[in-house]
Amino acid sequence: MSDQRQGGPPGPGDGEAAAFSVIGKRNRKVDGRRKVTGQTLFTDDLQPARLLHGKILRSPHAHARIRSIDTTRASALAGVHAVITGRDLPVAYGIIPWTRDEYPLAIDKVLYVGDGVAAVAADDERIAEAALELIEVDYQVLPAVLTVEEALAHPETQVNTFAGKGNVSKQVRLTFGDVEGGLAGAEVLVEDTWFHAGSTHAAIEPHCAMGDLGADGILTVHSSTQVPHYLHRELSRVLELPVDRIRVIQPAVGGGFGGKSEPFDLEFAVAKLSCLTGRPVKILYTREEVFTAHRGRHPMLMTYRVGADRDGRLTAVQARIQIDGGAHSSFGLVTTYYSGQLLGAPYRLPAYEFDSTRVFTNKPSCGPKRGHGSVQPRFAFECALDMLAERVDLDPIELRRRNVLGPDTRTINEFRITSNGFLECLAGVERASGWKEKFRRLPFGRGVGVAGSTYISGTNYPIYPNEMPQSAVQLKVDRSGRVTVFAGVSDIGQGCDSVLAYIVAEELGVALDSIRVVTADTDLTPVDLGAYSSRITFMAGNAAIAACAGVKRQIQEALAERWGVPPGQVRLADGCATAPGVPSHSLPIAEAFQAAEARSGTLGGVGSYNTPKDVHGSYRGGTIGASPAYSFSAHIAEVEVDGETGQVRVRKIWVAHDCGRALNPMLVEGQMEGSAAMGFGEALLEEQAYDERGLHRGPSLLDYPLATTLDTPELESIIVESHDREGPYGAKEAGEGPLHPSIPAIANAIHDAVGVRLTRLPFRPPAVLAALQARYAAGLAWKGHRG
Amino acid sequence: MKERLRFVVNGDPVEVAVEPATTLLECLRQDLHLTGSKQGCDKGDCGACTVLLDGRAVLACLVLARAVDGRQVTTVEGLASAGRLHPLQDAFDSQGAAQCGFCTPGMLMSAFALLEENAQPTLEEVRQALAGNLCRCTGYTKILDAVVTAAGVIQASRPAPPGRSGT
Amino acid sequence: MMPLPHLRHVAPPRLAEALGLLEQGSRGRVDPDGDGAARRGPVLPIAGGTDLVPNLKHRLLDVELLVDLTRLEDLHLRGVREVAGRLHLGALTSLADAAAHPLLRDRHPALAATYSQIGSPQLRNMGTVGGNLCLDTRCSYLNQTAFWRASLGYCLKRRGTTCHVVPGGTRCVAACSSDGATLLTALQAEARVERVGGDRWIPVESLLQNEGRRHLALDAAELITELRLPATPPGQRAAYEKLRPRQAIDFPQLSVAAVADLAPDGACRSLRVVVSALGARPRVVTGLAGLVEGRPLDEAALERVAAAAHRQCHPLTNLAADPAWRRAMVPVLVRRTVRRATGATR
Repeated sequence: MSDQRQGGPPGPGDGEAAAFSVIGKRNRKVDGRRKVTGQTLFTDDLQPARLLHGKILRSPHAHARIRSIDTTRASALAGVHAVITGRDLPVAYGIIPWTRDEYPLAIDKVLYVGDGVAAVAADDERIAEAALELIEVDYQVLPAVLTVEEALAHPETQVNTFAGKGNVSKQVRLTFGDVEGGLAGAEVLVEDTWFHAGSTHAAIEPHCAMGDLGADGILTVHSSTQVPHYLHRELSRVLELPVDRIRVIQPAVGGGFGGKSEPFDLEFAVAKLSCLTGRPVKILYTREEVFTAHRGRHPMLMTYRVGADRDGRLTAVQARIQIDGGAHSSFGLVTTYYSGQLLGAPYRLPAYEFDSTRVFTNKPSCGPKRGHGSVQPRFAFECALDMLAERVDLDPIELRRRNVLGPDTRTINEFRITSNGFLECLAGVERASGWKEKFRRLPFGRGVGVAGSTYISGTNYPIYPNEMPQSAVQLKVDRSGRVTVFAGVSDIGQGCDSVLAYIVAEELGVALDSIRVVTADTDLTPVDLGAYSSRITFMAGNAAIAACAGVKRQIQEALAERWGVPPGQVRLADGCATAPGVPSHSLPIAEAFQAAEARSGTLGGVGSYNTPKDVHGSYRGGTIGASPAYSFSAHIAEVEVDGETGQVRVRKIWVAHDCGRALNPMLVEGQMEGSAAMGFGEALLEEQAYDERGLHRGPSLLDYPLATTLDTPELESIIVESHDREGPYGAKEAGEGPLHPSIPAIANAIHDAVGVRLTRLPFRPPAVLAALQARYAAGLAWKGHRG
Repeated sequence: MKERLRFVVNGDPVEVAVEPATTLLECLRQDLHLTGSKQGCDKGDCGACTVLLDGRAVLACLVLARAVDGRQVTTVEGLASAGRLHPLQDAFDSQGAAQCGFCTPGMLMSAFALLEENAQPTLEEVRQALAGNLCRCTGYTKILDAVVTAAGVIQASRPAPPGRSGT
Repeated sequence: MMPLPHLRHVAPPRLAEALGLLEQGSRGRVDPDGDGAARRGPVLPIAGGTDLVPNLKHRLLDVELLVDLTRLEDLHLRGVREVAGRLHLGALTSLADAAAHPLLRDRHPALAATYSQIGSPQLRNMGTVGGNLCLDTRCSYLNQTAFWRASLGYCLKRRGTTCHVVPGGTRCVAACSSDGATLLTALQAEARVERVGGDRWIPVESLLQNEGRRHLALDAAELITELRLPATPPGQRAAYEKLRPRQAIDFPQLSVAAVADLAPDGACRSLRVVVSALGARPRVVTGLAGLVEGRPLDEAALERVAAAAHRQCHPLTNLAADPAWRRAMVPVLVRRTVRRATGATR
């Protein structure tokens, strides 16, 4: 049985009035008990017999030509089993097929401090590390470009030789509507420049991979990846092995946030080293290596011109954005589009233009971090809206209300919007926070700020063009009453394994503890594109519903025959099959399965999901930013600013998020709270910074400060359910959207507290104090209403 | 040269030979295959390797294995007894306090040490006790709530203190 | 993993044995097993390990033998005692135990509070008051991995000849980052230094030296075994304040300790202010007597004290936080700390 779901008429699970047994409940996670007992196996917990340990030698220079590498002494060290260099893996790769511009290990030149040069496999990590010290690399140091300005001024110093010429990685300019006219006709114009300095994911689990070439010639790679399918493909290309000779398994992943969503050097290295030694080889990044692997939030310098009429209605928005990409493209092609394309909601923009340029520099590559490409512009734009509200003397919430886009419409850049709960989000945080009593009414040093945002529920197209499903689920339905769910999805802590279990339990009436979930193993599970762009609940959720449909029909038909009722009247719920009105028409679910198996043969189901294709414009780039559904968020932050030190304390963030339907409110709140907290950290604490040599300023969890329990604000989640007509049970994403408004809400709250507009992240005390002192020096009194 | 040491892990005596440069975390994970304790930073910044040493929360990545000779170590694997989750584990599970689960073992051990010392902590005391354990997923809200819940469960399950006869 | 370097480890039960090993180490040959198989190389004492172990993983120190102090049974090494009106803290007392000790909380609440705010709960369970006082100096260019420092080209304190903080500098300016050292300096505490065949008490202020490579006036055979706090006059109040990016885990970006002795009428008998996280040792702000003594510590007096501190304290780029901001914070933090010491918090 195979069913495919796509945009279109309602399918199973869409019933508005359905009384759910599992969906919508605060169920435990399927992997929770193992996680709280320490039984969950992460990649570094795998310790097979004969395991070798690998280490990677890294460049101490930001930019240098490799004249020669001599590995003789390292190879001769007792306990060393293999040494490889870039020459052993000479195939370029890259997550985006059009920008394959990196090698697993550097071949001719190194592009940043920390670039991999050689790798060893040894009996233990100490020997491997000792072996690295015996590898002699002769470098010719080259001039390095470390800033966007330098990189553009010195095209002759080319960072990435795969770039056409110079250091421009990607340039996108798109115009929608009459921007010049809209700005010229604006009664109020806000113009300013904002800077997001860049941040990194810093998942607590460092990246880890283990390669194991079996005697059968099958190469198995276990990796802490978010994208086993894409890793599978790239391993095949780079190792020049057929895809069917490689098996990728993703064990439990200790947090990703986008930091594990493309292949990394260690995955190719363990694969190659295992092929050379015939033994399992594992590499675990040090924390420092995690910081230099990076692929985190791009630094962006953003200038916005925002026009509006006297009533605060937007007339046009124009953005010019410079993006510091680091050494490789990574997802940068998409990032460059996202920096502009995702601003089209939740407000109606009558005219919009963005001009974004991504530039290569001799630093670790930037990539997708939670809220890929759109967190930075959202910060700038929501601050601009706050300035606009001030200029037209409107409450900032009211200003946002006047500009809402609404449901069932198209954005200026032609993306289809279906459900839209943004107004409810605004109302929710306004009410819960006591906004009306606080805004412009708190004493000097305290303030509140608001911001909104939108995000995609999965990107509409896969990374490599193909017509095949983006998510798939297979079911094994057992006469014992157990159902095993096979899916390629990547659970990185967000709980997608559990979400699939909830859906199958709901659809087939099976108790949750009778569901087994097998995921992210390319030998066992059907392809899923991975944990990125907040796609899994929406896409794999729909695939799961589709997979259940045929099985459910078979069971219903078998019992309908036995009971003499129409199949539609057979209900599967709470571990039983029943027909309403006749108490004797009731069977435990295992017996229902048996009845169906007897009638139709072995039970199983296959379902898949592919996106609707009519949800975006036909212009070049119109597919990037397209999604089958969009989530909406609004935050209010309350802050306290110490006027003497510049220290900012965020007391609380109210987080409202339209997730369509909360399949498990507890997990949705977890995503909302985690997102808001991560945004808070970016606002006040975190910066992925380098010195003038290209050295990371503090590649440790001491120097890169993640907020502790004592720093993190109180977080209150308000779930808004707009019941998207194409989402599974109406669900949309929750994992990334709720990060966006944290930063501008805090910025706007700081303005309400002390009257300064901060435009450069992060808002560390020296910057806050400098802004305050500039304000004092200018003799500007803060708001008259404070007295 | 490897040297032999004996200590008690989760109530069981163990004997293991380690190089003197081995940390307790390496010994637990690699020699004893107790992989519940995690390595997040390897230098005392994140708390993922928190275990109890003679009842007090310590960072196993900073303790030399030889320093625990003759002492009692408790890891996350020792919290559940006879297949029954400890109330802290149950509360973490039921309240969504474990997302990726990587900080969870260390977080549980810090919380366990707190409840052993202070059976009814306030929310602020829980915050203080967990301040050395970084979580990147949750924003801590559900973790803090789970600890408070577990404290309540433990309190409710204890028999009333003796000698409080009616007057 | 960042493996520890090869080393040996002994955990003797008696202080005399530990001191004997340190003595051997100071003479360049150590024979921990007593079997005549002596080795060359440094012998280092280890207690909580919270400072030493990361530094060893970063290859900031050479070591042949670690002398683990945690098994020492000598009674004076642990706990808080009162001797002739003065409190003694055993150097091996954990920071957590010191912070919770009723006697310390009663007599020197500011010190107990300071210990309760160091690092994180786990670090306080492990770290000791002795180790905290001896905390190695810290610098952005130093407390990094071996790879990172090799990429930098090393620094004055370890393997290099260049100071990256003070161009051309010949003195290491890595910052004193010990919360305890700062307040103990202000309190005029003393440390007992023991070695084979002898001991001495020295003021904490003179224990700490203005050279980041050798910030303790100890030789390799010596060990701090006890701290002694002077008897507190009835009008004495102390406070300690620090700035740090997070409310836990982090080392101070700037710290201030203040000890004021007030007469019953509120007049100031004496005021000591110590500022730290500057260079290798805490800076005792000088010239305060003429500014405050015999007068109430009112806001005008506070301004004079803060201005004096501001003139005398010059934060460097040895820590990540902007030195200009840290300098601007000197008077702010001094005012706050003195206010808190005198109970005039606002």
